[in-house]
Amino acid sequence: MLGLMYCSKMAATSAGRVLSLCRQFQKSFSISTALLLQQTNVLTSCKAQLSTFRPKFCLLHINNLETSLAQQCRALHTSQWRRGLEEFFDETPNWGEPTVKSGAPWTAKQLRTKSSEDLHKLWYVLLKEKNMLLTVEQEAKRQRVQMPSPERLKKIERSMKRLDTIVQERENALRLLQTGQERARPGTWRKDFFGRTFWYRFKEYPIPWYLNRRYKRKRFFTPKFVDSFIRLRIESHLHSKILKKKADLENKRKLQEKFSKHSART
Amino acid sequence: MCLSVPLSRYPLYQLGNPQLRIFRTNFFMTLVKPGKEQPPDTVQFQIPMEMTKCDVKNYLEKIYSVPVGAVRTRIQYCTNKKRNHLSQRVKRPDYKVAYIQLAQQQTFQFPEIFPQKDTALEPGSVEEMQDQFMQDEQQRQKADPRRGGVTEWFGL
Repeated sequence: MLGLMYCSKMAATSAGRVLSLCRQFQKSFSISTALLLQQTNVLTSCKAQLSTFRPKFCLLHINNLETSLAQQCRALHTSQWRRGLEEFFDETPNWGEPTVKSGAPWTAKQLRTKSSEDLHKLWYVLLKEKNMLLTVEQEAKRQRVQMPSPERLKKIERSMKRLDTIVQERENALRLLQTGQERARPGTWRKDFFGRTFWYRFKEYPIPWYLNRRYKRKRFFTPKFVDSFIRLRIESHLHSKILKKKADLENKRKLQEKFSKHSART
Repeated sequence: MCLSVPLSRYPLYQLGNPQLRIFRTNFFMTLVKPGKEQPPDTVQFQIPMEMTKCDVKNYLEKIYSVPVGAVRTRIQYCTNKKRNHLSQRVKRPDYKVAYIQLAQQQTFQFPEIFPQKDTALEPGSVEEMQDQFMQDEQQRQKADPRRGGVTEWFGL
């Protein structure tokens, strides 16, 4: 009963699959052009955005060719990108290099300008990139060799985190407008056994609560004999507040003494 | 609803519920070189503990368009015996391994990602001079070949 993964990829021909899983990976410059084409195709739905080609992280494998390739992108029709398991590895020119160039991560401000469809596609681009980096990292540990440019992983993680934040913001807004619910997961204020009030988040159960023996053992109510302890806790809390206030005043007085008005020099 | 974080449990399913769809997965798979010799059509992955065989199959088919035949998984238990400088037990995290057999009689060979590249040092550079100096030092430190491998300890 497990979910299907929604993705923008479509099925390709069997010939393409065989080619992609061939033993000898194709070492040619066409791979890097195709990579850029795929990524630009994926990220920018409209061609106008190609003109504002800022060095984003996942587009920066071919940093120095951006202007010429941008023009080529407009002319060429981008075919479907089909490489299968090759996508778990970096481009062949980068194997064995001590460092691999990469650009800045996506910022939240940049991501907010993108449409939801673009963000969805970007998520998968970042996911694949992260899988590739994890593969390289593991292999480097295996071979006891330094991984080239490990900062790429952090950049990807931050970009994904920010993307998630943006998507959550949009979902929150939509939910507030449509239903008025502030939270995605339902919950309620409850008192625990010790009289403390907390936000209880609901959990999914296949049976009602009155048939759930483990749930009934939790006791979301405060018995009578706990009242005296609650009172003591309230007293200690108030006492600590007073102490803090006194400590602040004492501190202020000492500072006043040390740096009084007439001691200030021009 | 975005279920992007790998939860400890999937949402409950009861008869009549719609098909569960996960948008923007948070599962990351690492392709690893097999420690033991595997058949040519087998690919080995390290996957998060929450992933199942069906998940792996769907993941590879939908995102990477790799035809998957069979998936088998196992959980590798890692030691909790090691202790740190405070003699506290330190757990090495467990991980799940998946063995994927490719469909359509395809094969996969894990490539050499870190090939030895012979970098020719440019003459006159600092690295070249350092390299030359190290080589000279090693030559100087070597024992006299006329002694035939006998150490200096044996007088004369």
